Amino acid sequence: MDERLAMLRTIQELEFVAIELNLFLDTHPQDQAALRDFYAVRNQLLEAVRRYEEIYGPLTATGCTPPHNQWLWIQSPWPWEIEYE
Amino acid sequence: MWMYEKKLEYPVRVFRNDIGMAKFLMAQYGGPDSELSAGVRYLTQRYTMPTDKAKGLLTS
Repeated sequence: MDERLAMLRTIQELEFVAIELNLFLDTHPQDQAALRDFYAVRNQLLEAVRRYEEIYGPLTATGCTPPHNQWLWIQSPWPWEIEYE
Repeated sequence: MWMYEKKLEYPVRVFRNDIGMAKFLMAQYGGPDSELSAGVRYLTQRYTMPTDKAKGLLTS
């Protein structure tokens, strides 16, 4: 698996966990273990997205890609153009 | 309200024709029992929810 796909995979795994914890915390907002897990995975996710966007371009139009003299948003592949392995 | 991300939540690779899967996906997009219809209903129902938990869950 190339480096880009591996980084994207990590982001997907972290975000999947964050979404599940989000749903759980909506109905269990005082659960301290779930809160700890959520903040831990959120920090990892933000860092993983920041590293990915620095190298491969924005995942959202307002992502943290450094300023550029071209509009990078429409240059990187769309979700249906990525060859997941 | 919506943010578009240039990635899927779960990696999916489409590599062949599959009529059964296509029908299943169309059923999830349209019709009264589709997940898409349910999702839009949640977004309307949340306005009358009495608790923060319920508002949050229907939004999430």
